[in-house]
Amino acid sequence: MTVISAIRDGLGRVRRAPALVAGVWLSTLLLALGPAVVLHSQIEAHLGASLMAETATSGVNFDWWNEFLAQASGVGQTFVPAMLGFAAVLDNLDRLADQRPLPPVLAVLVAAQLLLSLFLAGGLLDRLARDRTVGAAAFMSACGVWTGRFLRLALLVGPVYLLLFLHVHHWLFDDVWEWFTRDVTVERQAFGLRLALYGAFTAMVCAVNVVVDYAKIRAVVEDRRSMVGALVAGWRFVVRHPAKTSGLYLLNLMLAALVAAVYFVLAPGASAPVLAFAVGQLYIVLRVIVRLQFLASQTVLFQSKLAHAGYVAKPVPRWPDSPAAEAILRS
Amino acid sequence: MAPRTGSYSIDATLDASTRTLTGREVITWRNPGGKPAYSIRLHLYWNAWRNTDSTWLTQRKLAGLAAEDLERPAADFGWQQVTELRLVNADGTPGADLLPGFRYIQPVDQNAADRSLAAADLPVGIEPGQTLRLAVAWRAQVPRTFARTGAIGDYFFIAHWFPKIGVFEGDGWVARQFFANTEFYADFGSYDVRLTVPRGWVVGATGREVSRTDAGSATVHRYAQDDVHDFAWTTSPDFVEHTQRFEHPTLPPVTMRLLLQPEHAGQEDRHFAATAAALKYYGEWYGAYPYPQITIIDPAWQSGSGGMEYPTLFTAGTRWLAPRGSNEPEAVTIHEAGHQFWYGIVANNEVSAAWMDEGLNTFSDARVQEAAFQPDYYVRRFFGGFIPWQFTDIRLSRATDYNYLDGYRAAARRDAPITPSYLYWPGTHADITYSKTALWLHTLERLVGWDRLRQALATYFQRFRFRHPTPDDFFLTINQETGQDLNWFFEEAYASANVYDYAAERLESVPVSTRGFGDAAPGAAPVFQETRDEARFRTTAVARRIGEGHFPVDVLITFENGEQVREKWDGQARWQPYEYLKPSRAVSLQVDPDRVLLLDVNYTNNSITLHPRAAEAADRWTLTWVVWLQDLLMNYAFFV
Repeated sequence: MTVISAIRDGLGRVRRAPALVAGVWLSTLLLALGPAVVLHSQIEAHLGASLMAETATSGVNFDWWNEFLAQASGVGQTFVPAMLGFAAVLDNLDRLADQRPLPPVLAVLVAAQLLLSLFLAGGLLDRLARDRTVGAAAFMSACGVWTGRFLRLALLVGPVYLLLFLHVHHWLFDDVWEWFTRDVTVERQAFGLRLALYGAFTAMVCAVNVVVDYAKIRAVVEDRRSMVGALVAGWRFVVRHPAKTSGLYLLNLMLAALVAAVYFVLAPGASAPVLAFAVGQLYIVLRVIVRLQFLASQTVLFQSKLAHAGYVAKPVPRWPDSPAAEAILRS
Repeated sequence: MAPRTGSYSIDATLDASTRTLTGREVITWRNPGGKPAYSIRLHLYWNAWRNTDSTWLTQRKLAGLAAEDLERPAADFGWQQVTELRLVNADGTPGADLLPGFRYIQPVDQNAADRSLAAADLPVGIEPGQTLRLAVAWRAQVPRTFARTGAIGDYFFIAHWFPKIGVFEGDGWVARQFFANTEFYADFGSYDVRLTVPRGWVVGATGREVSRTDAGSATVHRYAQDDVHDFAWTTSPDFVEHTQRFEHPTLPPVTMRLLLQPEHAGQEDRHFAATAAALKYYGEWYGAYPYPQITIIDPAWQSGSGGMEYPTLFTAGTRWLAPRGSNEPEAVTIHEAGHQFWYGIVANNEVSAAWMDEGLNTFSDARVQEAAFQPDYYVRRFFGGFIPWQFTDIRLSRATDYNYLDGYRAAARRDAPITPSYLYWPGTHADITYSKTALWLHTLERLVGWDRLRQALATYFQRFRFRHPTPDDFFLTINQETGQDLNWFFEEAYASANVYDYAAERLESVPVSTRGFGDAAPGAAPVFQETRDEARFRTTAVARRIGEGHFPVDVLITFENGEQVREKWDGQARWQPYEYLKPSRAVSLQVDPDRVLLLDVNYTNNSITLHPRAAEAADRWTLTWVVWLQDLLMNYAFFV
């Protein structure tokens, strides 16, 4: 199977699983709604009966915004201009790339998102690997089955990510950066180095990520209980198919960049909030599709090499009918 | 033109490879005071970076701003050492050696580790009006940039670099050490400076280049300028030179010389336009720029020397990616060019009253930006600060953004502007010096009108051109020229750290009704009566003063039929009620509706409407924020 075929088949599998897309999108929306309610109440309380609300309703009232931020706490402190339009994408990428610390309230939300994603991961992979409808009960069952195992996998992989994001990042962007740029007087040169460092760091993160992805895929497809074994198996698969795994990952990354580029073009300004929300949700849906596409296309590639399309070792769980239903059937 | 109190003839040689500077100078100083001077004061500013216990670094440490400075390698520190100090006789022969009596002094904090100010006794007193000639030789290590002076790579920006005589006022010297918060104070004079730098390197300096002579692998650049109070220069092999001429129907022409970093090619028009705008508007508003040239230095990246003013020369500051439609580099260029007027020509004491140049200049540059560089969109930089993103939804405004209301709001109570600048809390001195002053000047503009304020500032400019005005000189001139006694305002805005916060406390508008016992027939018991007039409304409005600051404000009540009632409130009491019986309901109450008082730290509470739209605004902004949060969460979810 070629990388292009994996991409195509992966997209097909995602397309045939609209409930997954809707579910993941809805989960992000629901997770965001809680703090959104808090922010809403803070904004409303600050504006009160003030006439400033008139201009804050019709466009950006930067003066009010700064005044709000000067007294805001918790969620309110995250209500910054960088959330407008495509700047939101840059701001969030920048937060990761430059390791800007998360305010406590965001750290809690991110932790919740990670746990939710961990819980859903098994169900999503199981569904995408089977490439057929399994029903909500089977999906939730798979989520339940794999949560514990993926939690163990996270305990194995977490330290690697921590090492990357805390120590390697610090080394690259503080020590190496300082060492190379200390006497640089041309901004363009420094930016070139910065790009190279971003590239190197991204490559390292992606290398870990691709191994972890295949570890999860192998765990689900081959019904592995040992997460150490799954991790080793994932590593082996990547090492034995370096061109295809990395090529596929790169193409998926390009797809993600394409989605961001589309949002860059379409993201409306602050004058049309409802439209901005609608376009924003469309963008989030596309991001969900891309994330599922990563999993689906990598599963397709794995199955094409070491299994077959739609193969999953663990059967879809079936629950016995209720006694009443059995009685009806018998009658 | 100016009283030439302190003049300098300097020969200096830069060894770029070792970053050392050696120099000899002859200072010609006339005692402008009312008493004899029995000693001299010499500023040795670079000794502020000789050790980590200097007053300059101690102040930085105090505010938690010196962490990186304290860890610098030895080569990055700087120092100045006087190697010869003697009088020069009238016939030019060497006079008494003053070095034996040379000592470092610390008049403000008695910090023995500080060597930024020195004194030496004179064998005979210099009587008022008498002239002293002093020969000084020194050597120095050029630091990696501190306080906008120093070197990085092949870029040298050399400022406050020569032993400089203090200012003698009235009864004695007012020279102080070098502080982290403050800049400089010096007398006007003539400068004749010969700078020896590596051959082929471009030099920019105060004044005009008089001659250029090659000497082996070096070149001597001679610069001269009269009627200035400082001299700064820069050299680098990388500068690209551009010149343009500023011309104006009523102002004298000025040659603008720009030394640009090669990577900023294409931005020369922006630097020239901003400089020309400053020359034009400041010239029209206050008075003409008196020198025939001005030099704009585009500093090297990471040099830390951007945004600083020296006579006839200043450093701007831009970025490789600087989107048009946002005032970078225009804002800093206008500001530093503007300092030619407020600092360069009207030369207040920056050590004790920095607000007089920084504040006036911030106020003025904001006006220029508003007049000449609109729209100006907010920019935020991402990815190490390299990638700018321009928010075309956020247009910056003069009143709140250029005057830095946000900065002032956060630091409003930190210091009263009347405090000598060198005693300001180092962490927030800019919020008071720049922001608060600009805000109260803009408030004054809205209070008395631009025409009157402009006239007052023009008179102040003309009156104190080439002189050293004090705060009292400024306040007196403003009062005289506006024809108003504004001391009530200065005493609070300038002499205190009081915060202004006026608010709309309450607004109610209901049909007129009365309930109670009224008069009945004579001799009969009072009868309970209830009346209600649906055609008339009783409107109750209450304005409140929350902050300690007092200011007269208008109170505007608007009614549903479009009628408006504007009240004048002196703003003295803590609260002020108003009541109206009108055929229409009220819709809104505004305290200071024209926002005259820009020092009000909370303007959201200045109004009440009976048809609030806060929920609608909250809906709108929360929807936008949710997308940002989802995107953030999706980024992290990628790793699971």
